[in-house]
Amino acid sequence: MNQDNQGLDFSTVIASTVHDLKNSLSALTHAHSQWLARLPEELRGGTEQGVVEHELSHLNGMLVQLLGLYKLGVNQLPICPDYHELDDFIEAQLAAQEDVIKHRDILATWRIETESPLGFFDRELVASVVANVLTNAIRYAGHALLISIEEEGEQLVISVNDDGAGYPQRMLERQHDYVQGIDSQSGSTGLGLYFAARIAALHERNGVRGRIEIANGGTLGGGLFRLYLP
Amino acid sequence: MLQYGQKSFLIVDDFTDFRTSTRSMLRELGVRDVDTADSGEQALRMCGQKRYDFILQDFHLGDGKKNGQQVLEDLILDKLISHECVFIMVTAESSQAIVLSAIEHEPDAYLTKPFNRVGLAQRLEKLTQRKTLLKPILQALDRSRPAEVLAACAELCKKDPRFAPLCLRYRADALRDLNRFDELEKFLKNILASRPQPWAYAALGSLLHKRGQNAQAQGVYEQALKAFPIMPNLYDGMADVLVAQGETKRAQHMLEEAVRLSPLAVRRQAALGKLALDNADFESASKAYRHAVNQGQSSRYKDAESNLGLVQALMSKNTGNGLDARTRVEINTVLSEVAKENVEDQGLQVRARLMKAASLQQAGDPDTAAKLTEQAMLRLEKMDQFFSVEAALTVAKQLQQLGQDAAGTSILKGCVETYGDDPKVMQSVAKLTDDPLVLGAVTEAVDLNRQGVRSYQGGQLNEALGMFRKALSLQPKNISIALNTAQALLRIGGETPPPALMQECRDCLTSVAGIPASDSRYDRYRKLHIRVFGA
Repeated sequence: MNQDNQGLDFSTVIASTVHDLKNSLSALTHAHSQWLARLPEELRGGTEQGVVEHELSHLNGMLVQLLGLYKLGVNQLPICPDYHELDDFIEAQLAAQEDVIKHRDILATWRIETESPLGFFDRELVASVVANVLTNAIRYAGHALLISIEEEGEQLVISVNDDGAGYPQRMLERQHDYVQGIDSQSGSTGLGLYFAARIAALHERNGVRGRIEIANGGTLGGGLFRLYLP
Repeated sequence: MLQYGQKSFLIVDDFTDFRTSTRSMLRELGVRDVDTADSGEQALRMCGQKRYDFILQDFHLGDGKKNGQQVLEDLILDKLISHECVFIMVTAESSQAIVLSAIEHEPDAYLTKPFNRVGLAQRLEKLTQRKTLLKPILQALDRSRPAEVLAACAELCKKDPRFAPLCLRYRADALRDLNRFDELEKFLKNILASRPQPWAYAALGSLLHKRGQNAQAQGVYEQALKAFPIMPNLYDGMADVLVAQGETKRAQHMLEEAVRLSPLAVRRQAALGKLALDNADFESASKAYRHAVNQGQSSRYKDAESNLGLVQALMSKNTGNGLDARTRVEINTVLSEVAKENVEDQGLQVRARLMKAASLQQAGDPDTAAKLTEQAMLRLEKMDQFFSVEAALTVAKQLQQLGQDAAGTSILKGCVETYGDDPKVMQSVAKLTDDPLVLGAVTEAVDLNRQGVRSYQGGQLNEALGMFRKALSLQPKNISIALNTAQALLRIGGETPPPALMQECRDCLTSVAGIPASDSRYDRYRKLHIRVFGA
């Protein structure tokens, strides 16, 4: 009789659970910051504080990513590209992680070396990629990280560079496997790259698709993530 | 950091906690003037009384309440906010799903919860900068002056060509509003050749559709759906084009796809209901109309037509089978809502009663049905408003089924008088009657009208007016003829038409004052009305 009442598949169950998790995490983050605001100044700093903030934002990033993967799976990840001001975009990404960056005592800088102040991409999707990469970079960085945007031919390149130990050699060699989503031992990193690559590829212009690249080096000498958008 | 001391803020969220914490973040940024609202309805009232510079609007305000997107639509359409106001949509999750439904009226930015003070400050500052950059354009928009919008865009592009892409959409909208269609077509095609965006496809498709170039419009939508397969409004556009080409089954399929992607859309559900009803797919029609009715409760697009459509679909679905108790209850509820909420609308009052009567007859209660029919007919006699074509046809059919053939015929006659110049209408009327008095009534007037149009287009204004006058004397309630006569009179009258001529114009328009607002000529009628009556 009732056509709406089909059995739920597992991924839908996961997705709606993740959705709830996200809401509860949001409430938690919120309560935490409220509580923090009531503490006397001298108690607000501290390592534990940094850990809590970092992990909250890490959890949030992972949940966003999970939801994104679900939508990719059911082919519901829409791309809605538009022109965005690049400085605004980067500042917003850094501002979202401001607390963690401060607590980890990391110097985060950015620079834009493009002719146009605007880039053409899906803000939401690219932001989720950058947020994940930033969370990782913050975790592995020594004291500094750098976001830069430049042009390479017709493509926009968003890079995140840190001064940490860099990606393990094994990952660099097999990066295309990670990008293709081949199951690996290293857990979340692989999935994050897979997600990033899928989102990059959703951006297409005249037959050229976006892509990602990981390397070590760059200005800061550590991990270097690059997102190419045509 | 920017100075917010003089700026007014409104926070709209159903959670007290969120309102409090956002307010304290704003205070820390130096904001003094912060108001809060816990529902969209309250926010709308507040915006009616005060101009806000910034609005932080939560998207999900609870089931059965207006959501943030609906609030934004109401604010824009009722002109309760200036284009200079910074409107930020706050969402609990990724905003993708919302973006989908927001193609017409987009917020200035989305902000995902949780956000911190630095994040909020960054967005506010950047958005303020952008509004400042675009200020001349936004002010022209507030004044509803598309020509000034274009000039302001040109100015900005000259000053800093790097920001030209931010003007694209303003320019396209302005060209559309100025009816500069050839330019618009070229402009949109250039955008699509370089950086395709869903809105540009939709704008080009609807432009081609409006000009009757449906095959080309279909091509545009096909291409668009390949690039953006999950933008619901592209399916809407495609459906319009298919309907125009008579492919109603495929059109229904398109809308079903759009509804699957974005079910929260009152107008789309209503359109789907209507298409399905026309396609005799009563199951889908009742489902879609039911959604339209339910979602309509909190929407400005609430429309009694959906209630009537739902009842029609439910009755048709059960043709020959009576009506079960649950269906009867549903019919009762949706019809009494129509009667209760449209007290002033004579047409709807009549239609709701007749619909009820028809359902009672189907349910096996002919006595009450007869009583209600009688009531409806009494109201019908006193009615001075015209039915739309579809309403007239439905009413006539129901009157026939309820044993009131004479009344049915008189409705059809009225319909022919008003709309008889349209051959499609005549075809539909012919399905319900073969009375030559009804069907033959218009031939002469319609011929005269057609000749009049030809003369008018050839510049023979006086000859045209003669034809229109003669046609109108035969069919004084025909909308097309009356509007044509008025227009010819005004054209001949020039800048300051003589009083006698103005009086004739007024008479023309008064004779078709019953024109329903849903009629495609309503805009034309309103424009003439404003010229002739001054309002």
